[in-house]
Parts: sequence; structure tokens; C-alpha cells
Amino acid sequence: MKSDVPDRGLVREYLLGRLDHKTELEEQLSHEICFNDDLSQMVESVEEEIIEDFLDGRLDPADKDAVDGYFLQPPERKEKLRFARLLRHHFEQRHDPVNTRRETFDSTNARFDYRPANIGRSHFRTYGELAALLLLTVVGLIYISGIRKNQARLERQLAQEREQSTTVAKESQVAQASMVALTLVSDRSRGDSTQIPHIEIRPSAQRIAVDIALPGRSPGPLDVMLEARGKNQPVWAGHLLPVVSASGDARLVFDVPVQGIRSDVYSFVVSSSLPGFGRPKHYDFRVTLAQ
Amino acid sequence: MAAHHEKRSLTPEAFGKFLRWLSVDDELAVREYQRIRTKLTRFFIHKGCTDADDLFDKTVDIVVGKVESGAQYSNPLAYCYGVARNVWYEDTRERKTVAIEFDVVSFEHPDPKVREQELQCLERCLTQLPPGDREIIVQYHAGQGRDRIEARRALALGVGGTNVLRIRMCRIRKELRICVVACIKRSLN
Repeated sequence: MKSDVPDRGLVREYLLGRLDHKTELEEQLSHEICFNDDLSQMVESVEEEIIEDFLDGRLDPADKDAVDGYFLQPPERKEKLRFARLLRHHFEQRHDPVNTRRETFDSTNARFDYRPANIGRSHFRTYGELAALLLLTVVGLIYISGIRKNQARLERQLAQEREQSTTVAKESQVAQASMVALTLVSDRSRGDSTQIPHIEIRPSAQRIAVDIALPGRSPGPLDVMLEARGKNQPVWAGHLLPVVSASGDARLVFDVPVQGIRSDVYSFVVSSSLPGFGRPKHYDFRVTLAQ
Repeated sequence: MAAHHEKRSLTPEAFGKFLRWLSVDDELAVREYQRIRTKLTRFFIHKGCTDADDLFDKTVDIVVGKVESGAQYSNPLAYCYGVARNVWYEDTRERKTVAIEFDVVSFEHPDPKVREQELQCLERCLTQLPPGDREIIVQYHAGQGRDRIEARRALALGVGGTNVLRIRMCRIRKELRICVVACIKRSLN
């Protein structure tokens, strides 16, 4: 069914549960969202906009109540919010070393910015200057001593971390030596052919654990072939049913043996004879065989 | 306080009957099932329901009952949607007496190891995004306050407007979420 696309404001009201008592309007919009595929992506983006506003603290009290009491009730939305936070945290962390250093520097200055409170500068200028010099010397010594202590502590921690990571690396080598993980999210039509995912296959590896995120709505069983660049003969082929989450995200999760795979560019070709799937999709990746 | 609603799942028999009702062709039946499931669970989520999967299973149970009684329906999605609306009305009536307690802080994963793992997976998944998408998500989160607003405005102009940017960001986040979930599952196995 095709109809006029409602405006984002109305969709927002709908998602905040404010149309639930306006039966006719609610029914009409629910029906359109269910049957009009063009509308569903817009609804999802309005959903994310509400989450962004929530995280930015831009919601007015009424909207905030609607978000708390209605919008964020489904666990799927809580998970979306949690992921949005995680994403923000990640990008904030990228700037953190600078901020942390600046804060430390500022707070150090504040801590050591000691001045006698009730002494008039004009009457005790010389004493003041001497005191400031003395203070600066003391502060300098404390600061240097602090740095040395910190450095010693960090060196000890680093040694411990190295020891720990050596142990973890050994354990993980034993556990993961036989599997190589490969996640593919963009097919050739959307990706940049110069920057395709890359995996290194060590001699101990036996299988590649593959996870392909499929675009659009969930299809039925799919034909999957692994092809080397420029070769007509598939290295591996299978008929697989995608895993579909409650929110409709479809993925192909499977593993393939590494036998016969060399250092080259490969593609998983995903196709289906079912109507509506469209043209086969190529998920390219580069393999390097480690010596 | 309302009685605790026990979670139940669709029985294999009911599921089989439902699939056969959708199509005699197995592949088409599975495909149609996934389409209906996606649309109806989204409907329940849009309506603020706390267990969309459970309500979907209830819907299918009811539909299977109707189908078994010999009723014929030419449009499965339209019929399932009608049943789903009734299931939602019923759920709304039950839900009214339940006090809602919502703890925003609980979104932080309590286990620091899992949280750390999530961040590592996110870092990895970001590198697997196509360069254009990666650039957009980095720019989208760049800066603070006024600078961020200006940066997003410029970014929106570059991609063809605010709504285009919103929809593109929505798609990128979705891809990232799928990638991170898969990565964590792998690392926990």
C-alpha cells in the first residue's frame, strides 16, 4: 500500500505513545508503517533521533516522561540506547588522553595555586616574591617527585601487564589457533574496493568463521559461494538459511575450511532464486597466508 | 501489581502449521514467516511492549487456531496484523496495573570485561566499515556543544540534507551493532 509519507513530527508522537488514545490516527499510522516499506526506515531514524535527544539531555520534561515510561520499555530499544552510549563513549575516549592531561595539569595548578589570603601585595611585595619563589621551588620538587613516583608505578604496572598479556596471548593462541574470524558488512556495490577486509591465516588455522550482515529485509535460504578473484570455479559452496533477529536484522553465520585458500582476494557470492532478492551480492576480502 | 506473565514459546507443531498455512513451498513459507515476524515484532516494539517476541508467538498461536478451524484468509500479513492489534490491546489492558520502574544507569554493562570486549569489538567493526561510512560516523561524533552542531550541519549539507544524514547514520549504526554483537558472541564462545 502506498500513501503520503507522514512527517517526522507525527512519527515521533506515535513512537512516544501519544497517539495511542487517538484511535483513528494511531490505526492509520500503524497500518501504514506495517504495510509501507518506504516508511519503516524513516521510523527507525526517528527512533534513533529520540535516543540521541535523550542522551544529549535535549528532551523537555513531558518527552522525557514519555521516553522513560513508554519508548524505552522494550528491551530492543534499551539495547539501542546502550549501543548509542557505547558509541559515544568510544568517540569521547579518543579525545580523552588530551582532556585527561589538561584536567590533570589544571587540577595540579589549582592544587598548588596557594596564596596567603590576607596579605596586601603592595606592603609585602618582596616577601611575597620570595615566598612565591620558595613556593615555586617546593611545588617543583613535589611535582618532579610525583612524576618519578608515577613513572615507577607505571613501569611496575607495565611489567605486570606485559607478563599478563604474554600469558593471555599464549592461552588465546591455543584456543583460537584453529579458527580465523571474518565479519563482512558491506557488499561490493557499497564498499571501497581498495579497502576490503583482510584476514591472515596462520599455518595452525583450520577454518574461517564467517559472519555476513545482509542488507534490507530478511530473505529466505541463500546460495553462498566462495570464489577466488578471476577464477570461475568456486572454492566452496553452500545453501544457508540466514539468522534473523527479532528486529529483523539478517545474518549468515557459518564456517568454511581453509584448505585450498591461498594469499589472494576472495569473494563470498550470496544469491537467491527467490523473487525480490535482486542481483547476487559479492562480499570481497583479502587473505594473506602467514608463513 | 499484575500477576507475573509467564514467558512461553511457540511449539514446533504450531510453528509447522503456521508455515504450511503461509505456503506449501518451504522456502517461500520461511521467507514469508520472517517478513511477518519482522513487521509484527516491530509493531509491538513501536507500541512500547516489553516482550515483542512473546506477543508475536501469542499472535501466531491465535492464527494457527483460526486456520485449524478451517478459515481461509487470502492475505496472511493483513490477517496476522489484525490479530496482533488485538493481542496488543489485551497486553495494554494487562500492563496498566504494572508499576514501571526504569533505571537509566543499568544500561552500563555491569561486567567490566564484557564492556571492554564491546569496546574492542566496536573498534574492530569500525575499521571494517566502508571508508565513506567510517568518515561520516567519525565526523558525526566529532567535537562538543556548538562545534558539534556546526560540524553535523556541514556534514548534512555534504550528504544531501539532514534527513538523508539521519537515515544514513541509522543504517551505519545498525551495521555496527550487528557486527559488534557477532564479534562479542565469537569472543565469548
